[in-house]
Amino acid sequence: MTAFRAAACATVCLPLWAAGAGACGAELSGATRTIEGTNYTVVFKTVPETISTGAHFALDFAVCPRAAAPIPRAVRVDANMPLHRHGMNYRPVVTAQSEAMFRAEGLLFHMPGRWDVTFDVDTGARVERLTGTLQLE
Amino acid sequence: MRTIIVVLAALGALTAVGAAAGPEAVTFSESEIRQILSHGPWPLPMQRDPSNRASGNKAAMAWGAELFRDPRLSGNGMLACASCHQAEKSFTDGLPKARGLAAVDRNTPSIANTRLQRWYGWDGAGDSLWAQSLRPMVDSREMGSDVARLAAAVRGNADLANGYRRAFGAAPPADDEALAVDVAKALAAFQETIETGRTPFDDFRDALARGDRTAAARYPLAAQRGLKIFVGKGQCNVCHVGPGFSNGEFHDVGIPHFAAPGRVDAGRYEGIQKLRASRYNLLGSYNDDPTRSTATSTRHVDATHRNFGEFKVPSLRNVARTAPYMHNGSLATLADVVRHYSEIDLDRLHADGERILKPLKLTDAERADLVAFLESLDERVR
Repeated sequence: MTAFRAAACATVCLPLWAAGAGACGAELSGATRTIEGTNYTVVFKTVPETISTGAHFALDFAVCPRAAAPIPRAVRVDANMPLHRHGMNYRPVVTAQSEAMFRAEGLLFHMPGRWDVTFDVDTGARVERLTGTLQLE
Repeated sequence: MRTIIVVLAALGALTAVGAAAGPEAVTFSESEIRQILSHGPWPLPMQRDPSNRASGNKAAMAWGAELFRDPRLSGNGMLACASCHQAEKSFTDGLPKARGLAAVDRNTPSIANTRLQRWYGWDGAGDSLWAQSLRPMVDSREMGSDVARLAAAVRGNADLANGYRRAFGAAPPADDEALAVDVAKALAAFQETIETGRTPFDDFRDALARGDRTAAARYPLAAQRGLKIFVGKGQCNVCHVGPGFSNGEFHDVGIPHFAAPGRVDAGRYEGIQKLRASRYNLLGSYNDDPTRSTATSTRHVDATHRNFGEFKVPSLRNVARTAPYMHNGSLATLADVVRHYSEIDLDRLHADGERILKPLKLTDAERADLVAFLESLDERVR
């Protein structure tokens, strides 16, 4: 696995998508989810595809800036249960998997129910939060 | 929502989906049935612990079983692991708070099904069964030994030294700490084999899974009604998840934090500090798995203010045998536990606004049904 942080990759890979190199998250196979933000799009999938209560999992994801959006310097991932008002008991770490892909490792949902997964796209000047939802039975 | 009639005990047969049921029938929705099925099958397949090279080794299990009952592992030669983890009490001691060489602040947890856990101890200060097995041996309040004395006991007693050779295929190492950790790993190899048997609930759950209505009808109606509360308005299965009936994590459930007047038990908050400071955690050199494949939780665990006063969610299998209850043994019976959640005082929660718990306001009959369900998780009443 490439060891440098997401911000390092973002400098290299995000302009490729912005320039029309392919659909955002085209590298992701299987079931993906797309979150459209104001300045960014996030496409993500869980690894494994089916996640279970109390079992660690990862997220593979792409962050793609819209036309004139600045290149993010860092991306942070977290999750919370809005109805319960608590987050995870674990702190995910985001690393770059390749030029176009990121992986967040260390997630664990310890309860069934609705979880909001947040992607904080940090340009240095501002942070845009994109939120996706996962439902765990 | 479509309703599936599960059991008509009085008639001994089931009506069709959505049909009228008799007065005693318990009905479960599709969602409830999915939740019920998630609590099995049982037992789960055995998996060896890669962090422990003794795991799954029959010679190590056998030696670990002997060590478990051996008082020579204690500082005064009087206490064994089995002194507090008594098999006839589902490996607890029946006391509100444990008593080793001195009084301990917490209730003795059962070690049955312990191989399924991610964290060990009420505060999760241990991240492996072998690390947790070492802790009470060197705790001055519990067995009161230390690493040097444990090593000396093994080297100085021919039967123990021979047991080591059988378990690990080599003579006891010269390094005291390495030897003490291996003792703990043999103890863990034994404890991994301690598993509760199948229960009436498991039979009901499996009958549901295969659509065997006759077999499902043998499950007592009171237990069925209690199960419906458990997965329904009680939402007990939000934390008591899966075949082991625990999500393996930590919560503040409104039990007072004071271990003694003026002294607070910080629970998980302190457990994480101890975990990180431990030489024996899964990120350390005693992990036998060079890939650290089971260390993900240790690597990513997050310490926050809300961990203060949180304690681990216990399994509910054989729960009827493990009274008294809660981390401090403050509730004497299962009926007391159910009443606690039914009437929980939200002002006692310190969980930064979490909205998981609320008073269930159960009737007397509902509380009795919930207790009947919990008692049906006991292997002995089959």
